[in-house]
Amino acid sequence: MKTFAKIAWRNITRNKSRSLITISAIAIGLGALIFVRAFVDGADIQMIQNYTDLISGQLQIHADGFQKKMGLERNIPDPAKIASELSATPGIIASSKKIKNYVLVSSTEQSSGVLLIGIDPQKERAVTTLHKHIRKGEFLSEGKDDQIILGKDLLEILNVGIGDKVVIMAQGADGSLASGAYRVCGALDTGAEEIDKGMAIITLAAAGKLFVLEDRVSEFTIRAGDVYKLDDISRRLKDKFNGRNFEILTWKDISPILAQTIEFDKVFFDLLLAIFVLVVSIGILNTILMSVLERTREFGIMLALGTKGKQIVLMVALESIFLGFIGTVFGLILGIISALYLGWHGIDLSIFGKVFEGWYIGSIVYPRLFFRNMLLSSSIVLIISTIAALYPAWKAASLKPVDAIRHFN
Amino acid sequence: MAFIEIKNVFKTYAEIAGISTLALNGVTLNIEKGDFAAIAGPSGSGKTTLLNIIGALDKPTTGQIYYEGADITNISINRLADFRLHQIGFVFQAYNLINVLTALENVEYIMLLQNRPCEERTRRATELLARVGLADFMHRRPSQMSGGQQQRVAVARAIAARPKVVLADEPTANLDSKTAGELLDLMKELNKEKGVTFLFSTHDKMVMDKADKIFHVKDGSIIN
Ligand SMILES: Nc1ncnc2c1ncn2[C@@H]1O[C@H](COP(=O)(O)OP(=O)(O)OP(=O)(O)O)[C@@H](O)[C@H]1O
Ligand SMILES: [Mg+2]
Repeated sequence: MKTFAKIAWRNITRNKSRSLITISAIAIGLGALIFVRAFVDGADIQMIQNYTDLISGQLQIHADGFQKKMGLERNIPDPAKIASELSATPGIIASSKKIKNYVLVSSTEQSSGVLLIGIDPQKERAVTTLHKHIRKGEFLSEGKDDQIILGKDLLEILNVGIGDKVVIMAQGADGSLASGAYRVCGALDTGAEEIDKGMAIITLAAAGKLFVLEDRVSEFTIRAGDVYKLDDISRRLKDKFNGRNFEILTWKDISPILAQTIEFDKVFFDLLLAIFVLVVSIGILNTILMSVLERTREFGIMLALGTKGKQIVLMVALESIFLGFIGTVFGLILGIISALYLGWHGIDLSIFGKVFEGWYIGSIVYPRLFFRNMLLSSSIVLIISTIAALYPAWKAASLKPVDAIRHFN
Repeated sequence: MAFIEIKNVFKTYAEIAGISTLALNGVTLNIEKGDFAAIAGPSGSGKTTLLNIIGALDKPTTGQIYYEGADITNISINRLADFRLHQIGFVFQAYNLINVLTALENVEYIMLLQNRPCEERTRRATELLARVGLADFMHRRPSQMSGGQQQRVAVARAIAARPKVVLADEPTANLDSKTAGELLDLMKELNKEKGVTFLFSTHDKMVMDKADKIFHVKDGSIIN
């Protein structure tokens, strides 16, 4: 074994330039693969984080069926009890109550159908970043139940400004016609068109009064830490609220489009991986095959002396595995350094305009390295460097010594 | 019972375009233990073919090869490798050695295949290389040695395996006549000293003259 490894290793160093080219190809390919994966993961995480931070939260609890059909009759009774249950659940950082329903908002000139959300101005700050997206005016204040925040595009549609009055009309939970007058205190600018055009926000107390919901609410919005742990937490919540007619949603249920986008990113990456595997296999196969063909006579002599076929296979496979291994080490270094460096400094995408901001990515992407992805990519290289050697190895081992020895290069 | 007995061996090469070559035409000969024998004949006469068959590298079309009375023509391909490893030493015309191994490692290699202990491999390889006059060249690779030196390493390797016979197909063909003579003298010394049986082929008169026994081959037949 040691001698066969020695022979394999020396054959790599014998043709230095060819080996170096192969190793570089593997290293650059793997490095790029690790980096691209880190970039895509970073962008995905930012997309999820920014999307969920903005308004939806990472998890939501509603009365059953609310996600399918929003309505005041689908509400959560006794929210105080649920709030304390949630704060006792590990993994949950903060939660807030919301009332949600579609209403008509009118100025003196125009009216528009919007989604009205009632929030607790204090608690909401711990769960979402709505308060950071106020462009003009200010965020809602506790107790000021006549304030309203409108999306910036909605302000234009209604042709109103900060301090102006708007009227909201809706149906209350008891079926009565509900209406209320509010004074615009701030303009919401999130960059997401459906929000900036179609959303209005008032205090939870004001919404409860408007819809005659008493203390019932439509939703608990939950902030948990790591997006990758959400499945665990949602399972825990499902157990906890089992049999109480609640639906527990993760961001994937809340925004199927976002989930699809991320799924697409994964498919894109798998495709890239497949191309990489193909290119690296062909590269290694070519190198090893050339190296074997050059040594036809030498293999013939080894076989004539009594070397076994499987020993020849071992020698050729080791040669390929060494190349793959060195390539993997350098590829890992390359990938990790580039991903960590740019993960620290971020990659500024603003040269591409605002395209990415609309997708919640933000203009700077911070690549994120995951150990299991590096492990996956590197083990794939090692596996293909073994597989790619099989054909040349078999070819060398099945040479007939008599013919091979006749062969002079 | 002869030491090695070649009995009525025919070899036909199935050739391209339907024409087949009869390379050996009923060869019968005996090699005795301790022989220093040559197979002599012009180019194309069948020397290589015969040595390949005696060396269990190729099978005769018909006929038998007996080593100490045991027929080797029926041994399966897999077990032939083992047979060669333990019974036969090979020296080929040129470029005999594993390129990436030193002279010492090349000689050790054959004993490694035989699973000899490491200490014995090194000791015996060192001894034999010194015996063939290469004490100062042990750590050189083939590319750093002359053709004659490489052939000496090949001879040392062949003997290291403690085979029944060393088969050498034109071992001097790539050497000048002085070096060729020296190699033959070395082989003969080893033959006398260690009792190693040698069978080599040549078409060189000077080389033939060193043999104790000559089998003349012409058109695939022995014509002694
Ligand atoms: N693999 C093969 N396929 C077909 N014919 C072959 C093959 N090997 C040898 N021959 C033919 O068999 C005959 C004997 O060849 P062989 O190589 O044994 O001769 P040789 O005496 O060793 O010649 P040389 O001195 O040139 O090495 C020749 O006519 C040759 O063309
Ligand atoms: Mg020949």
